[in-house]
Amino acid sequence: MSRHVVCAAADIPPGGRRIVEVAGRSVGVFNVGGRFYALANRCPHRGGALCEGPVCGTVLPAADRTFTYGREGEILRCAWHGWEFEIATGRALADPSVRARTFAVAIEDGAVVMTV
Amino acid sequence: MIDCDVHNNWTTADVLLEHLAPAFRDYLERGELPGGRGSFPHAHRPWLHPEDFKRTDAAPPDGGAAGSDHRLMREQLLDRYDVDFAVLTGEEAIEVSTLANPHYAQALAGAYNDWLVTEWLPLDPRLRGSLVVAPHDPEGAAREVRRLGGRPDIVQVLVSTGAQRPYGDPFYDPIWDACAEVGLPLAAHLGGQGGVNANPTGCGPPTFFWEAHALLCETGMGHVASVIAHGVFERWPGARLVLIECGTAWLPALLWRLDADYRALRKETPWLKRLPSEYARDHVRLTTQPLEVPRNPAALWPALEDVGARDMLLFASDYPHWDFDDPRLVPVPRDWREGVMDGNARALYGLG
Repeated sequence: MSRHVVCAAADIPPGGRRIVEVAGRSVGVFNVGGRFYALANRCPHRGGALCEGPVCGTVLPAADRTFTYGREGEILRCAWHGWEFEIATGRALADPSVRARTFAVAIEDGAVVMTV
Repeated sequence: MIDCDVHNNWTTADVLLEHLAPAFRDYLERGELPGGRGSFPHAHRPWLHPEDFKRTDAAPPDGGAAGSDHRLMREQLLDRYDVDFAVLTGEEAIEVSTLANPHYAQALAGAYNDWLVTEWLPLDPRLRGSLVVAPHDPEGAAREVRRLGGRPDIVQVLVSTGAQRPYGDPFYDPIWDACAEVGLPLAAHLGGQGGVNANPTGCGPPTFFWEAHALLCETGMGHVASVIAHGVFERWPGARLVLIECGTAWLPALLWRLDADYRALRKETPWLKRLPSEYARDHVRLTTQPLEVPRNPAALWPALEDVGARDMLLFASDYPHWDFDDPRLVPVPRDWREGVMDGNARALYGLG
């Protein structure tokens, strides 16, 4: 395990992201409503550029034919095939057994610090 | 490695204006368009992709359309994966098949072809072109095949899988005749599911984009059956049919069924001399993308092996579309790779 200072927390405002090289791998760091998360920039589906895709909301599960948009800013769609992932957990919405690799992130003295 | 489905695009269809004869330039310049200025005349399919159908990382930095910038294509595909040849298939050009007016459709296809050979093919020695024709104007299509089909950088004639009737129908004989004369395969790429092509699926229109997209292999199945049954490969022994983006896993089931029914009812098509599966093995080719991936990835290959697909499949990435297959990750078995990733396309297209 190694610690890496990624950038200043202020460099990634809420809703923002930054793609960085950490310990030889490409990682996306996301600020979702003030909480920071890091995901490997490699989609567990087919290896696409996961973290370069749109951050968005999605249509919430429903028991009937209602279409409710929600979770704005919590969802990352892979840039290649559009699979949806929950930024906070790395889990794919359509199949939670598929999970993007996540890394621990902490804010220390105003810096984003990642543990790999 | 050869990539058999790469989409070169324009940012505005106005690039075609200078390649149109005055009568049809006037249509495109002043006539009705399906979208705003610069949109391409066609009838769009009734399923709209809710996320758009391009890779979101494939949009050029200049704000142009995905697939419109050759430098980005080189960086994201040709150089990155060490592609020896990329077969360009255009983007919207095959949608001319959806227009009711076959003369305007053919004029637009011809303008695309001129744009392709002047603006795209000279950009990189790895690029090869597909000549788009309007299949509902068979005589005009045949003239177009003879006009440009002899160029060494053109490797096939291209139509959409959406069609008013399947491609074995004698209606299309002039196209097969011209393809045989210039020695080019006829390729059908997924598309053309709108306008006058009213039957993209068999039991009525599906509702959702993903539902429809998964089912669009149906048109490919219909074309294979039609072309074999009508004896295209007896009349033109050098003819080849290439299906692009129609999937692969259905092929064994279709050929097993065709063989069984032909054996019983041979008398309907007395011009045939071989089993449907034998014609298919020698004359039909399928691109791999989007390759079906079973829960056990190895489960796909034994059935394909049974019908000789080892020699029939051609790798394709579909760059820059949303269902792109990565050539390094596509689970083709080790002993199939040389043929599927390279050799089969080299033999088909006569690439050195």
